[in-house]
Amino acid sequence: MEGAWFTFRIEDFSYAFLSVLLEGVPFILLGTLLSGVIDQFLPARWMTRFLPRNPFLAVCVSGLMGLIFPMCECGIVPVIRRLIAKGLPVSCGVTYMLAAPIVNPLVIVSTLAAFRGQAALEMTFLRLGLAFFVAVIVGLAVHNLPIATVMKRRVLESMALSPETSGGSLRPLGQRLVAALQTGVRDFLDVMVYFVCGVAVASVFSTAINQEMILPLALNNWLAVSSMMLLAGLLALCSTSDAFIAATFVAFPGVAKLAFLVFGPMMDLKLIFIYSSIFTNRFVLGLAVGLFVLIGLLCVRLAVLGL
Amino acid sequence: MTTASRFLSAGVLMVWGVVLAYFCLSGRIIAYLHPAFHVYTAISAGVLLLLAVVLLLTVGGESAVSKGVSLWKQVFASLILVGPLLAATGISPSEFGAAAVENRGLVEHISDLPAFTVPTEPALPTADGSIGPETPIDAASYLKRTETGKIKAETVDLLYAAAEPTMREDFENKDVELIGQFLPMRSGNPTGDRFNLVRMFVMCCAADARPVAVAVQTGDGATFPDMTWVKISGRATFPIESGRRSALIVADSIQEIDAPPETFIY
Repeated sequence: MEGAWFTFRIEDFSYAFLSVLLEGVPFILLGTLLSGVIDQFLPARWMTRFLPRNPFLAVCVSGLMGLIFPMCECGIVPVIRRLIAKGLPVSCGVTYMLAAPIVNPLVIVSTLAAFRGQAALEMTFLRLGLAFFVAVIVGLAVHNLPIATVMKRRVLESMALSPETSGGSLRPLGQRLVAALQTGVRDFLDVMVYFVCGVAVASVFSTAINQEMILPLALNNWLAVSSMMLLAGLLALCSTSDAFIAATFVAFPGVAKLAFLVFGPMMDLKLIFIYSSIFTNRFVLGLAVGLFVLIGLLCVRLAVLGL
Repeated sequence: MTTASRFLSAGVLMVWGVVLAYFCLSGRIIAYLHPAFHVYTAISAGVLLLLAVVLLLTVGGESAVSKGVSLWKQVFASLILVGPLLAATGISPSEFGAAAVENRGLVEHISDLPAFTVPTEPALPTADGSIGPETPIDAASYLKRTETGKIKAETVDLLYAAAEPTMREDFENKDVELIGQFLPMRSGNPTGDRFNLVRMFVMCCAADARPVAVAVQTGDGATFPDMTWVKISGRATFPIESGRRSALIVADSIQEIDAPPETFIY
């Protein structure tokens, strides 16, 4: 192994930082504009009419909603914030937030393409299945938590005080459109502060850390799975393209790549910051640790499949 | 909600819109994103500028923007949103230096760059009506040549050729010309007459780029500053080294060139 494990150059950092911002902004903008539309035009409790009354079934259905309403991990937080304000149970919102960036048609296609020749069908099926399972487990856990331990107090207060939670249907269309744009702008600026911070931290790691340093860890399943999840958290890749990166780690066992593909879209450096915009710090920390342990354990157990 | 904070929000949107528009209109975006994403960035630039105008035009009315947030907090948030963006736009050289490229690990074998299959033509029915095997496309139909008859290759083509016998026949011991960035070979170079020729292979954006490298052997050990763009003319060979077949260009000439308009390969 050669070279230093950490080599920081401001030019490389700036380049990686800008490229992720340029790629991510359209998706965040789309998510926040959608959140404005939901805020102004979606009648309160509309979502709950389409979800089963049984909490378990409702969480399961939320885990599959990404197949119909695909969202990437950058843009999904403002959307679920508005959906929760409209009456979607927090447990269903969290399940949708975790599952949708993986359980969606685009990710199915990209994973199949990236793992061509490397058990693509099995990897794609396991990725979606594991993501759905983990999201449902987390959703059911959230169902049993008081909402105040999950959502930030100021977010809850803004939901409770917002006159728009009724859908604002009595106002003229023009006023509602302007209000939708203003709500979208507010969410955009809120999320972007966290996104910029997260991308900055992730860019330091993606350019300055020698990624070949982790190669010796590939020889042990526990270390391989943990190190690949850690790498996914540090690189903060988009869920539509991360499969192409994961597939290049040919020295690592399939279960380590699976852990990378499931953990990354659910929790990474930029997402920690973005989640912090609506969830309590304690919940975000617990979610990060819980996902790391749960996905790690499941992937190591899946090693029996001989991927 | 004060008028000042509304102007502040509009200003932030305006800056982001202008920066995104600048990247699109100047063509600088080519060095940052896969072409599939350019249109999204361009649309976002327009939408952000439009939102800024809408905010300014509705000053004085009721607003949901920054509801419940103090002006000082909003000033601080605006600095976070605008400062790093403008600084990075000024500092970024629009390409990675040698340290970042080496930190990512060079892709020197095609097995490290998946999602590859040999170009094939659709299978045709055989005489008995069954579907026949797919046939590789004739190399002449996809290989481009220079005016002097050399094959215009990319680094990634040679990695494919090293792994695929059918493609290797198209390149082996043929004269090729290719461009890339000069990177000294830090290991596996006992005689000191080799270097790596690197191109960045991109899926979405520069942050996920993988450096695809081909070894180049020179008679006198060429030296250039790290990551200098060079054009190589030489013979493509595929020796087995350390138990693996690798691509190696035996160079006839090496010439420093300007960076091409499209620095990535896809």
